Amino acid sequence: MGSTFMGLETARRGMLAQQSALYTTGQNVANASTPGYSRQRVNFAQTEAYPSIGIDREQIPGQMGTGVKAGSIQRVRESFLDVQYRGENNKLGYWQTRSDAMSKLESIMNEPSDSGLASTMDQFWQSLQDLAVDPTNNGARSVVRQRGEAVVDTFNYLSNSLSSIQKDQKSQVDVTVKEVNSILYQINKVNEQIGSVEPHGYLPNDLYDERDRLIDQLSSIVNINVSYTKKAGNTDPKAEGQAVIKLVDDNGSELGILLGDSGMNELKVKDDGVDQSIKTISLGNQSIDFTKMNSSGKLKALIEAYGYEENGKAAGVYNDMLSELDRLAYTFATKFNEVHQNGFSPNEIKNKASDSIDFFADSGNAAIAQVGFASRIIISDDIKESLDNIATAGGTNVAEATIGDATNVRALANVINEKFDYKSGATVELADFRTYYQNVIGAMAVTSQQAERLTSNSTFLQQAVDEKRQSVSSVSLDEEMTNMIQFQHAYNASARMITMQDELLDKIINGMGTGGR
Amino acid sequence: MRITQSMLASNSLRHLSNSYLKMGKYQDQLSTGKKITKPSDDPVVAMKGMFYRSDLTGVDQYKRNTSEMHLWMDNSEAGLEQANSALQRIRELVVGGNNGTLSPTDRQAIASEVEQLKQDLVKTANTQVAGRYIFHGTDVLNPPVADGTPPVVATNITDSAQLKVIDNYQVEVANGVYLKANVNPGNAFSQELFTTVDNIQKALANNTPSNLDSLLGELDNEMSIISSERSELGARSNRLDMVENRIDQQEVLANQVLSDNEDADIEKVIMDMTTQESVHRAALSVGSRIIQPTLMDFLR
Repeated sequence: MGSTFMGLETARRGMLAQQSALYTTGQNVANASTPGYSRQRVNFAQTEAYPSIGIDREQIPGQMGTGVKAGSIQRVRESFLDVQYRGENNKLGYWQTRSDAMSKLESIMNEPSDSGLASTMDQFWQSLQDLAVDPTNNGARSVVRQRGEAVVDTFNYLSNSLSSIQKDQKSQVDVTVKEVNSILYQINKVNEQIGSVEPHGYLPNDLYDERDRLIDQLSSIVNINVSYTKKAGNTDPKAEGQAVIKLVDDNGSELGILLGDSGMNELKVKDDGVDQSIKTISLGNQSIDFTKMNSSGKLKALIEAYGYEENGKAAGVYNDMLSELDRLAYTFATKFNEVHQNGFSPNEIKNKASDSIDFFADSGNAAIAQVGFASRIIISDDIKESLDNIATAGGTNVAEATIGDATNVRALANVINEKFDYKSGATVELADFRTYYQNVIGAMAVTSQQAERLTSNSTFLQQAVDEKRQSVSSVSLDEEMTNMIQFQHAYNASARMITMQDELLDKIINGMGTGGR
Repeated sequence: MRITQSMLASNSLRHLSNSYLKMGKYQDQLSTGKKITKPSDDPVVAMKGMFYRSDLTGVDQYKRNTSEMHLWMDNSEAGLEQANSALQRIRELVVGGNNGTLSPTDRQAIASEVEQLKQDLVKTANTQVAGRYIFHGTDVLNPPVADGTPPVVATNITDSAQLKVIDNYQVEVANGVYLKANVNPGNAFSQELFTTVDNIQKALANNTPSNLDSLLGELDNEMSIISSERSELGARSNRLDMVENRIDQQEVLANQVLSDNEDADIEKVIMDMTTQESVHRAALSVGSRIIQPTLMDFLR
């Protein structure tokens, strides 16, 4: 038979266990809106039955329960959903950042509108047509110069705005790299703390939550793979262990270790490519070529927008658009100048001497150079000096040329409609200025649309996974209240059991053996 | 599936912000009247929009060019008309002057009228429109005829090689289509014309009516040259009218295509907006209802 006070002990254990469950409920309610918090539960377990098996066991009809204990306090969380969430969050980070970069680009290009490059060019063409109709009209001549100024201003403005946005993008890259390193540093610290708590048999739930929250943050910036190694000692089987975080590419193969057993490897992004573009990324002592870093996330999108070195050239969203503008400005200005040189201006007709006058010039070089030309294109000094330097008349002999002849100014207007190889690529692709520019804008629009669509797709997926995760881990106040009532009643009932025991004992001590008194 | 308060709260927030996003799009469409505000909204519409805009600019410009054509053609027509009536008058005077009953003084009087008509012809040949001589081809700043006895026609008109160079005051009326605005300076007011008129005046002044017969033949010849030039101008003017009609049609079409391509269908947008508005109200009201109560409200 058990001892006299066994029932008291059983009830006491019950009260203690229910009390710890109530405390845990309190913790859950208090943290209902803490980011990254996973609800906790007390794993109730029965205490060892009496009597235990042994040679001197008591001969009673069966084993008797001795009560309950709070086995462990555990987070309710599904690690598989964490992996899914991080995968989607990673894609979202990439597409959202890319879509941001593209939408900035779109707002700078400002097409289709009445003030973009296309309509400025249309107006330039119109002014040339007006001059072609009446080449002696000085007003029309000055409008041509002004519209020409507008064209070069637009080129300059687009090029300079893109360059300054690009610089801004670089500082975003730097800030993001700092963020990665700061998150890694924090995870490392949390890892260390967890490492010192777990061997004592505890489950540091708050530290797990904090670490998962940090890893979630990191997953939006770079694509990662997280694995865990457990430490020896008196570690609980439910303990998670030390997180090892690897940088992986989109196929899941490892590129390098961000956080290993020996601590964190600092991430660095180096602008060692052409034109300060990004070429290598270093992780501790390891160097990775950016073109081989097929690992999506915010960082990759930022670098792709800012510019990276590929095949010895600076590529990237802004760099590509800048070189398209350069191509447009360069080919157009060169061809326009060619035609302009061949024509005769009123000054040439007056002096009866042919002269080669350029309409457009390069503010940085004597001859027009393609790279960065969009930011340097200006109206030539000759044209700025005198309106009569605009070559309107055509023909072969300057002595026979007349001022009313508009052959050349028509040819100039035609340069805009004529097809040239603006791309200057491996294969000749002929297009006129407007069509080429329309294609550039179209390509930009399609890329941007794709980024936007994939942003909303991955937002949807990320939210769906997050919802599943919330469904498992988030605190439901109704549920906690229900649990609270349940635990409270169990507590009260255990207390009642003590009173009952008290009455039993009272009967034994004070009421027994007094018969006949 | 387990649903918690925080999930409900974040879901209804998300639904509300989605709803705002849609309303924002309708707001953009209604206040700009356009389907798209940036190219990525619809790349095809954006590209087509750029193309149609350029197209429309071109049509506008060609329309503007034709008005300049009219200026030239109408004035040329008027000039030729005036020259023709002057020559007609000279012809009458020649026929009258050839009458044997006339005295030398009478012929002198006729000669002085011919002198006036000759000067009028010179003035007509030197007609200026907006500061430009319209009967001198592209050499618009120099007069085609200088005063003198006889008046002297500029060398770049008498020299046929040079005439070819200046005889092309052309205006673009459609992409790659050029119309000539001027009349051939060599045909309208030639040196022969002025020499003939001058000879007529001399024959009358010197009282040598015997020369007038052959001169009358030359005068008729010059008149027929001018009238053929006039009919050519008239034919070209007809062509211009046709071109103008076509341009007008093109303008209407280009505007229509541009509008079809990128203008928002206002009625539809307002309908969608109203629908979205009620969805938004529903979302707000359902949010406020399900977020508020918890089990706590019902526990003692």
